[in-house]
Amino acid sequence: MKGAELVLQVLQQHGVDTIFGYPGGAIMPIYDALYQSNVKHYLCRHEQGGAFSAIGYARASGKVGVCMATSGPGATNLITSLADAMLDSVPVVAITGQVSQAVMGSDAFQEIDVLGLSLAVTKHSFMVRSVDELAATLHEAFAIAKSGRPGPVLVDIPKDVQLAEIAYHREPATAAKAAAIYTSLANAGKARALIAAAKKPMAYIGGGVHMAGAMTQLQQFLAANPMPSVTTLKGMGSVAKDNAHYLGMLGMHGTQAANLAVQQCDLLICLGARFDDRVTGNLQKFAPHARVIHVDIDPAEINKVRFADAALLGDMKQILPAISAGTDCAEWLSHCAQLKQQHGWRYDHPGERIYAPLMLKQLSERMPDNSVVCCDVGQHQMWVAQHMRFSSPRNHLSSGGLGTMGFGLPAAIGAKLARPQDTVITVSGDGSFMMNVQELATIKRFRLPVKIVIVDNQRLGMVKQWQQLFFNERYSETDLSDNPDFVALAAAFAIPGHCITRKDEVESALEAMFTWPGPYLLHVCIDDKDNVWPLVPPGAANEEMITEAKA
Amino acid sequence: MNHVLNITTTNTPAVVERLLQVTRYRGYELAGLQLTPRSDANSLNITLTVSGDKPIHLLTSQLHKLYDVQQLELVSAELAVLSA
Ligand SMILES: Cc1ncc(C[n+]2csc(CCOP(=O)(O)OP(=O)(O)O)c2C)c(N)n1
Ligand SMILES: [Mg+2]
Repeated sequence: MKGAELVLQVLQQHGVDTIFGYPGGAIMPIYDALYQSNVKHYLCRHEQGGAFSAIGYARASGKVGVCMATSGPGATNLITSLADAMLDSVPVVAITGQVSQAVMGSDAFQEIDVLGLSLAVTKHSFMVRSVDELAATLHEAFAIAKSGRPGPVLVDIPKDVQLAEIAYHREPATAAKAAAIYTSLANAGKARALIAAAKKPMAYIGGGVHMAGAMTQLQQFLAANPMPSVTTLKGMGSVAKDNAHYLGMLGMHGTQAANLAVQQCDLLICLGARFDDRVTGNLQKFAPHARVIHVDIDPAEINKVRFADAALLGDMKQILPAISAGTDCAEWLSHCAQLKQQHGWRYDHPGERIYAPLMLKQLSERMPDNSVVCCDVGQHQMWVAQHMRFSSPRNHLSSGGLGTMGFGLPAAIGAKLARPQDTVITVSGDGSFMMNVQELATIKRFRLPVKIVIVDNQRLGMVKQWQQLFFNERYSETDLSDNPDFVALAAAFAIPGHCITRKDEVESALEAMFTWPGPYLLHVCIDDKDNVWPLVPPGAANEEMITEAKA
Repeated sequence: MNHVLNITTTNTPAVVERLLQVTRYRGYELAGLQLTPRSDANSLNITLTVSGDKPIHLLTSQLHKLYDVQQLELVSAELAVLSA
């Protein structure tokens, strides 16, 4: 068989039945092999969209997402999405065609040094020099993508390698196995002592817990060691909905209760999170009274930005039970419960216009169980994190580390293909939506019943908010009031839609959207003046939140 | 402060770029680089000297994660004292 066919054989060996991509000269042999393959290829309309779909697929399912592109412009179009997968630790394998080795290094047509480009945005990358290495390299790529702290892996395959003949004997996929996770419980005793002694313990939960498959162990840990908990953007949905001590998201747009409690705690138990600057605010002033227990699979995260009094490396599933010590902090728990009550969200927004937080709360209550919500980036993204509840981080896909506008729509395509039984909703902004709007064509072609909610403030709202607060209300290039008519735009892709402007239209519009069997676009017009609160201003400590009343 | 790292890597085309990219991105300056293929030609012995004000573990922990790095040893005397 040819190298190109071998690629598809190996993909199938890894259980891959869905891939996203876009053809071109240097990857034509693989597309030719696809023509008669059982692997289902979904044609995106921009490689960035295809790779985001692979990310959405991976994040919604826990499997490795696969995308493909041709050399040169096809490969460069993948870069942003690979960076997104890198910063959010998403297992993705990207396969790119490369010009033939005979002309490599001669500035051939559509030749770009993709391996060189990949260094900053992948966990690892390969250039395949011979068809004899092809299968082993692909096995390695899968092993690396999903092992340890997951991440994107790129495999660049020159056209001559795709065309070369090879006698293929199916080798076991385990031939290339990544280093087994090494779990060190050496500091477990120290961690237990810290937990047992803490008067004000706090669990700070990131995306690493669910990625480790440790959701059950987390609930058990929180039950055996009652303590308040907060999550990062990526960790949302990790704490069971019935856990009364959960305080919400922390950080720049976190809840007041979460931020205040973290600032007051005397022990911070960081589980699969990394003290990102959007979480800590002013690092020197972050959780100033807290000793720290840090559990992670990536040794490089330990002591990277915050010193850990006890660090535990490895498999979260083993570590959580090993550090359980029992807590005795009734007073602290009731103090935190009081903070939560005192600073609860208010939805009694005056006037007729739609208040996005309330609309999203209604959406959250109305959406079927286990729906997946894919966000874009900006104010609407923060409102989703604040006002919607999720039963698993796999149900809330939001571009965290890279904060990439254009993520939502293509990620929803991937999520829908990964979980066809579940409802998939994109919540996008009028700015972000336009960044990968071409993927409406993908939705049209495959009749994917994705529900699209556009929160339209006619602005690059998040940037506008900063201009208002920190740049003297000089609104440089953030006005989008001449955006196209989104309902008409959807109609051009045979997607029905509806536009609402008043609060009293919300319930029936959501009902209509969910009742409609196919894809649907709901255009929600809101006031361009609405902002996201609370907000920790740059350089401030997390307790110095600006709230709506103070603004 | 200079730090000397003795590194064994697989002999793959981009490996030196990877080491240098991580070194630069994490905020250390290159102060020296020596490279010799081992007798089997499948791996390389690399001596990487870097300077920087940040603690060196912030660099070594990231270099360790490179898939091509087989062994990494910090040999600078300064650090031996620090980590003791
Ligand atoms: C690709 C990209 N470019 C620029 C930005 C900077 N940015 C962050 S939020 C934002 C505004 C987003 O506007 P919109 O999608 O309408 O969301 P809103 O804040 O109005 O809810 C911008 C421009 C970004 N995050 N990603
Ligand atoms: Mg907007």
